Amino acid sequence: MNFNRRTLIAAASAAAFASAPFAASADGLPRNVRMVIGSTSTGGDTYQNSAIVAEALSENLGINIKVDAVGSTEAFKALNRDSRGSTIMIFHDQSYLGNLYGRQGYDDPFANYVVGPTVAINPGNAYLVPADSPYQSMEDILTAAENGERVRVAIQPGGVSEIGFSAMKNAARVRAPGSEENIVAVNTGSQSDKNQAMWDDLADVINGSIQANEQFTQLEDGDDKAMRFVWITARDATLGQAPEAGMGGTTRDDMLAYASPETSVTLDGTNDFTFDKEFFFLFNPDMDPAIIDQIDTALAEIYAAGDIQERQKESFFIPNFLPSAEATAHLTDKRDTYADVITAIAGN
Amino acid sequence: MNDLTKVSIDFEQSHLVFPRLIAVVLAILLIAIIIRDHKRILNALPYWKGVFQNMDKMRFLGALGVTLLYFSLMVPVGNIWPNTGSGFLICSIPFVLIIGLLFMHERPMRSVISLSIVSVVGPVSVWWLFTYPFFLTLP
Amino acid sequence: MFEFISPLFLSLIVGGTMVGIIFGSIPGMTATMAVAVCLPLTYSLGLENGLALLLGLYVGGISGGLVPAILLGIPGTPSSITTTLDGHPMAQRGEGERALKIGIVASLAGGLISLLVLYLFAPALADFAIKFSYVEKFLIIFFALTVMAALSSDMLMGIFSGFLGIFIALIGSYDISDGGNGKYRLIPPGTEYWLDGGFSLLPVLIGLFGLAAILDQAELGVPKGHSANDVKVTKANKFSLSVFRGQKTNVVRSSLIGTFVGILPGVGGSAASILSYTNAKTFSKNPENFGKGEPAGIIASESGNNGLTGGALVPLLSLGIPGDSTTALLIGAFTLQGIQVGPLFIGNSPETWNAMIIAMLIANIAMFIMMYFAIRYFAKIVTVPKHLLFPIILMMCVIGAYTINYGIMFDVWTLLIFGIFGWVATKLRLEIAPFIIGFILGPSAEVYFVKSLESFGDLTIFVTKSWIAVVLWLLIIGSIAGSVMISRKSKTRA
Repeated sequence: MNFNRRTLIAAASAAAFASAPFAASADGLPRNVRMVIGSTSTGGDTYQNSAIVAEALSENLGINIKVDAVGSTEAFKALNRDSRGSTIMIFHDQSYLGNLYGRQGYDDPFANYVVGPTVAINPGNAYLVPADSPYQSMEDILTAAENGERVRVAIQPGGVSEIGFSAMKNAARVRAPGSEENIVAVNTGSQSDKNQAMWDDLADVINGSIQANEQFTQLEDGDDKAMRFVWITARDATLGQAPEAGMGGTTRDDMLAYASPETSVTLDGTNDFTFDKEFFFLFNPDMDPAIIDQIDTALAEIYAAGDIQERQKESFFIPNFLPSAEATAHLTDKRDTYADVITAIAGN
Repeated sequence: MNDLTKVSIDFEQSHLVFPRLIAVVLAILLIAIIIRDHKRILNALPYWKGVFQNMDKMRFLGALGVTLLYFSLMVPVGNIWPNTGSGFLICSIPFVLIIGLLFMHERPMRSVISLSIVSVVGPVSVWWLFTYPFFLTLP
Repeated sequence: MFEFISPLFLSLIVGGTMVGIIFGSIPGMTATMAVAVCLPLTYSLGLENGLALLLGLYVGGISGGLVPAILLGIPGTPSSITTTLDGHPMAQRGEGERALKIGIVASLAGGLISLLVLYLFAPALADFAIKFSYVEKFLIIFFALTVMAALSSDMLMGIFSGFLGIFIALIGSYDISDGGNGKYRLIPPGTEYWLDGGFSLLPVLIGLFGLAAILDQAELGVPKGHSANDVKVTKANKFSLSVFRGQKTNVVRSSLIGTFVGILPGVGGSAASILSYTNAKTFSKNPENFGKGEPAGIIASESGNNGLTGGALVPLLSLGIPGDSTTALLIGAFTLQGIQVGPLFIGNSPETWNAMIIAMLIANIAMFIMMYFAIRYFAKIVTVPKHLLFPIILMMCVIGAYTINYGIMFDVWTLLIFGIFGWVATKLRLEIAPFIIGFILGPSAEVYFVKSLESFGDLTIFVTKSWIAVVLWLLIIGSIAGSVMISRKSKTRA
């Protein structure tokens, strides 16, 4: 028998009928959850953190959670489209910093989404100078700015990498109004671009991280690639929880020497500026609040059991669980502080 | 002389520098093409008419239409059972079948059966592979 | 010293290579995706074993790309575009098997040469690589772009297509992670929601080569029979190693170019095979044969892209900076185990370093053996009836486009847009090869060009920066002059 057009159409409509939809619903998180993250890299810190949390959550709740590294704009879009709880998001401070710096594609996450529990901190955000730099400390850098010397700082603008730079400018402003103009940004991209900017002598100070730059600080004298830490932005309470051995040739005590209070970048003349890169959940604003409670409870159990902390510390993350309500209050405060810093230096 | 080569770029506007440069080059090349090929360009309408007259309309437009439908349905169907890849699975089976039938010249029973088997086994095994061992998201 | 070698270690390499080859040979699947999929597995495997798996996937994935490039005319991965240019014409005239074998031998040579370079010179090369600032990187990209002229059959249309490719690649935001300011440009009003990230490379690639080819066939009514009617299967031209006679320089040069492109962070993997191809054509005695089925073209392309594998590990292991998108994922494998990679890595972890070198060596050999014996079966793909092959290819293209960025539906629409664009473009006599090369290299050309001027503020910097810049200019001029000469020659002949 030969199939003609009519039999084909009949077959197609039969197939369409057979696959007619039926609804599926359940309380709480669906059985299959997609966790989107604000990074496109599956080798980066956001992915690692999210994977650790996703694994623990799916085990605790008995559901499937897939982590998808779609990047911030796509992640927010996916989150927006789905209020059933089958899409949730994990990201870090970039989510509101991008908004504060006015980057295109960043809405205010506090207004447009629901901020959920925090899970961990990456304490690594740092600033470095070449090993043979005349600047020994942040004090030297801020004094240089005061004396009218131009200090070029390589950053990736519009977020986590810029906030420490804004804080430097703000500290310069507090110490000697007007001197903040001598601290200028060199806008680059990835970590390799920032390092390269230092080696090409386009920058005097670069933004980096303990994880990516520590080995450069251990190079022998005379190596052109050698660097020195001048500032680690994390709170001392955060760094204090890092493994005592620290990382590579830099112990925890060495790190604490570059962080507040020993290394001071002032916020307002009395308090120091600090920045911890915190990872937290974001939810669709119309999602059932019961799901947030469910995640809070599950995370509380997971953190009480204690295995996740070991896993996080292995990858140099600091465990940092705050349930949704506390997390929202804490992050809102943090955002407001940074908003003030950014407006304070914006006039100039 | 040295001043002629000096360029200063404002970072806030730097996203426009290269697109403008490329647009200018494109415009120049386009003018060159128009001057050289004006005869061919004026002949465009009859040429495209010829293309559409000579094409196998059912297969070409059919393939295009079915693909369009396939892409449009995948996400809504997948949303019924979120994050299971069912949109891909449910839409791919008829898609492979229909495109296969469309591209066949005669449709003897034997070929139709082998195509039907492929159109079920293909999407199902791919779906299984991506959902379970690879753990990737499908629509 | 070699305690890490165990049956598990060996089978992970071989298994990884095999899965990598499969990923690479499916249009739309890439080595990067293979590594991303298997990365989470490495946590429980431990560092050496995990790396064995990932490096096998990497080598296999890069190599597998030549199969669809040659047999179907669809590059399996962006780095095998230049393989398509000569491989597919060879397959069409019945030399598919020969083309595949040439490609595999060239891949092996590229892989081994770059591995040797990695083993012997890694730290020294990393120190050299950091001498390349924005200016030199721009000139390298510019040099790679000159291949546009060499690839076009009609120089004016070809160059126009290439610039159009660059222009379309600029749509979206000026990527902040590459050093841009993150602002949108060239987005038609009303399409910001979809186009804010621009078009992704892989969907564009498989749209232009995969979907467009199937649309062409549909337009012709899908000429009867199976694909083998287009691709003749003859025994006339058998593969023999003699094809490599006189190609030693090409092999070594292309492998070293591939390695070097891998070493330069930020230049991008696909540039490796494009640059090797440009060079091979520039220095060839019969450059007019390139693009029509010239074995030297396959040799250049494949030894170039496998040369990348060793090269990209140089900055990873001696600076902690990935050389391409796949090695960026390898960093994840290290941090999962709490191991730092940076300038001290090789000295501090000789065990891991040896394990990686051995794994790469075995992966290259395993790749060669598996591919060489699988070719017979691969080549059979052209005997599958079109009505079975085409819908399955389309489905795989959809999967590839959807999963490349972990589930973005717009990437699937991109596939359709560029499939139609590709079909229309050939009717308008636009040229696809220069277009896609412009599209691939456009974004890096932009960043390095604009950043050079931003940092130095003077156009003369492109010549005066360093001796490296001068050498690059000589190559650029040589390549352009070469293309002009070839086009003159073919005009007088016609």
